[in-house]
Amino acid sequence: MPAASPTKQPHEPRTRRPFRTGGGGRPAHRGAPRRGRPVFTTRRGLTIAAFMAPAALFVAVFTYYPMIAGSQMAFRNWKLSDLTDKSFVGLQNFRDVFADPAWGTVLSNTAVWVVASIVPQLVIGFALALWLRRRFRFRGLYQALIFFPWAISGFLIGILFRWMFNSEFGVVNDLLQRAGIIDEPVTWLADPDTAMAAVIVANVWYGVTFFAIMILAALQSVPDELYEAAALDGAGKVRTLFQITIPYIRTTLALTVLLRIIWIFNFPDLIFGMTGGGPNNETHIVTTWMIQITQQGDYGRASAIGLLIVASLLVFAVFFLLATREKSEKKSAKKGERS
Amino acid sequence: MRRTTAALALGTAATMIATGCSAVSGGDDGTVTLNMVESLTNPTRTDLLDDLIADFEEQNPKIDVNLISPPTEQADQKLQQMLQSGTGVDVLEVRDITVGPWSTNGWLYDMKKDLKGWDGWQAMTENTVSAAEDSGGRTYYVPYGFYGLSLFYRTDLIEEAGFDKPPATWDELLEQASAVHDPGERRYGYAFRGAANANSNVTAVVGAYVADKIDPANAFKVKDGSTIFAAPEAQDAVETYFRLYEQASPDSSVSWGYPEMVEGFSNGSTAFLLQDPEVIAAVRESQAISEEQWSTAPLLTGPSGKTVQPLATAGWGVADAGEHKAEAVKLVKFLSQGEASLTFTKENSLVPTQKSAAEDEFYTSGPWATYVTMTEHPETYLNVTQPRGVAWWTEWEQKADADVQKVLLGKMTPKELLAEWDAYWTEKWAKEK
Repeated sequence: MPAASPTKQPHEPRTRRPFRTGGGGRPAHRGAPRRGRPVFTTRRGLTIAAFMAPAALFVAVFTYYPMIAGSQMAFRNWKLSDLTDKSFVGLQNFRDVFADPAWGTVLSNTAVWVVASIVPQLVIGFALALWLRRRFRFRGLYQALIFFPWAISGFLIGILFRWMFNSEFGVVNDLLQRAGIIDEPVTWLADPDTAMAAVIVANVWYGVTFFAIMILAALQSVPDELYEAAALDGAGKVRTLFQITIPYIRTTLALTVLLRIIWIFNFPDLIFGMTGGGPNNETHIVTTWMIQITQQGDYGRASAIGLLIVASLLVFAVFFLLATREKSEKKSAKKGERS
Repeated sequence: MRRTTAALALGTAATMIATGCSAVSGGDDGTVTLNMVESLTNPTRTDLLDDLIADFEEQNPKIDVNLISPPTEQADQKLQQMLQSGTGVDVLEVRDITVGPWSTNGWLYDMKKDLKGWDGWQAMTENTVSAAEDSGGRTYYVPYGFYGLSLFYRTDLIEEAGFDKPPATWDELLEQASAVHDPGERRYGYAFRGAANANSNVTAVVGAYVADKIDPANAFKVKDGSTIFAAPEAQDAVETYFRLYEQASPDSSVSWGYPEMVEGFSNGSTAFLLQDPEVIAAVRESQAISEEQWSTAPLLTGPSGKTVQPLATAGWGVADAGEHKAEAVKLVKFLSQGEASLTFTKENSLVPTQKSAAEDEFYTSGPWATYVTMTEHPETYLNVTQPRGVAWWTEWEQKADADVQKVLLGKMTPKELLAEWDAYWTEKWAKEK
C-alpha cells in the first residue's frame, strides 16, 4: 500500500489525505484541523461497504437474526416437546407468564436482588477505589487481588458460595460459631429468606470489583489542583468528597450504576449455581425463571419473558439516562450563570 | 487497487460464511465419516469413548467417527439444535427423558428393522431388551447402561448403634438412621435429598409401598389405572419418608442436591445415602472413610417386602436426517455389545446391560454385588418403567421438587402433596387421550 502514494512526503500533516477532501485544492496548514468532509463517491461507498460486510453479516446472522427469530417465538406455541405444531398464539404466552403464581415472587425478588446488590457494591467499591488511589507499598498487588473476582465465572462463584454457605460443612457457619456470634448453625440456603441474603452477599462480593475498577479509573482523572484548592479553602475530607470528587466523576458513576443494574438484572449464573432458584422457587429472579422455563422446553413462554426483560430494561435505561443527564446539565447551566 | 481490496474483502466474507456452514462429509476414497454426539459428557468418559471408537475404526477401516462432546449442561440443547437443523449428527446419545420429544419431532431413526435378528439381543439382560423398545414397539436407542438406586451405608456406625445388618425396609431405615443421628456431634442419619431431583426419592418410596399393585409399564399408575399417589399406601410412604427428614437428616438438607449428599456421605458425617452406582467411585476416593467402613445394600422395600427399581437409562441412537444410516447402526451395535459395552459400563459406573456381567469379578464383589442381587431377584426388586419420556417430564420434576421443598418448609402437608401429584398426573393423562 505505501508504494501506491509516491507524492506522500514524510512530514505531511494528516489532512493531506488518504481521502480526497471536500476543500478542493485549498492548501492544508500544518497542524490545522481537518477541513471539509470526505466526499462519498459510489466507489468509495462500495469499498467501505465491502470492508464492513463481513462484520455486518456476522452481527446480522448471529445477533439480529436470533433476536428476531426469538421474538417471534414469543407469539407462537413453540415447545421443544412437539415442534410439529408451532402455530401463532397471539399474546397467550404473555398471559401465561402473568398468570403464573410464581410471577409476583419472581418480580419482587428481582427488585430486591438488584437494589440490595447495587447499593453495597457501589458503597464498598467507592471506598475501595478511594483507598487504592493512595500510594502505598504493594498497591499493585492489592489492586490485582481486589480485581480478581471479576475474572471468575458467575456459575463457579455460585458453586463456591454454595459450599461456603452450606450449613453443616460450610466455612461461614464455622466462622460465625467460632466467633461466638451464633450458637446453632444457620440453615442458610434451606430457608428462603436467608438464601436470598446469601446470594446477595455473594453478588456483592463479586460486583464490588467492577465499581472499584471503574471508579478508580475515574478518580485518576480528577486534577490534583482541585484538591489543593479545596484544602486551601479549608474543606474537610467529607466536604471534598461530596463537593469535588463525586461531582467530578458523576458521569462515570451514573454510567457504571446503569451498566451494573442491567448486568445484575441479567445475571442468573450466580443464583443458578448457588440455589437453583430454590428452596420452593423463592430465590428466582426473572432471568433464572426464564432459564427454568427454557429447561421445560417451552421456548415460547421463555421468549415472552425475554422480551419483557428487554423492554423493561430499555425503558429503564432511557429514563435513567435522561434523569442523570438532566441533573448534570442543570449543574453546568448553573455554573455558567455564576461565571 | 481499491477494486482488488473490495473483491478481497467480499471474498474473505464469503469464505468465512461458506466454511462456517458446510458440513463435514465423506472423503473421495469411499470412506464414510460419522458424526457422533454425546450428551452426558465428562472428560474421562470422552476418553473412554475415544478408545472404543478407535477399536471400531480399526475393525471398519472405511468408517471414520468424529466424536463431538458438548459440555453436559448444554449438551441436550445443542443436540436439539443440531437435530432441528438436520445436519451434522449421525449417531447420538438418547436419554429416556429425551427420546419422547425427539421422536415426536421426527428426529430419530427407528432401528427396529436393522436390528432384527441381531445376535446382540441374546447377550443382553431382560431390562435392556425391554428398555430398547418404546410403547409403540419402535427402537430409537439401544441402552448402554442403567442408573439405579442402592443404599450406601456405614457399617461401623450402624454397629455402634446396635444393629447387626443394614435396613431392608424403609421403616428399618428410619429406625436406624434416627438412632445414628446426632447433629450436636455433627453426625447425621440420612443424606436427605431436598433440592434438585428431590421428587425422585419420593416416587421411589411411594413405588415401594404400592409395589403389589403397580403397573410395570407405567410406574406412576396402579393396575386399576389411577395414579400411585392416590393409593392409600402412598400416605404411609410419604409420612415415613418425611419423618426421615425430621428425625434423621440435617436441617439444611432442604437445599441438599447431589453434591451435598455425596459429600455428606464421603466426608464421614452421614450414615445413609440413597444414590446411583457412580457414587461408588467417589466414595472409594474418600479420605475420611475407608473401604471397611461402608458398603451398599439393595433398595429398601415397602411393608409388602417388595420394591420397585425405576431404572433411568440412556443409549445410542441414530439421527433420522443422517446420510449414512447403515454405518451408524453398525456403530450402535458395536458399542452395545460384548467387550465394548462391558468396558463402558464398568469404567462409567453403570448398571450393566450384558448378562455376562453377572459372572464378572468386578460386579460380583464389593459394593457392586448389590446390583447383581437386585437384578437376580426381579420378584422382590420389580423392574418398572417410569413415564420419563413424556413431554412434560421436566416441568413435572420442577414442580414436584418445589412441592417437596414446600413440605419440608412446612408450607404443605404430605397429604396435600399427594393430592397435588395425583391431580397433576390424572389431568395430564386425560389431556393426552
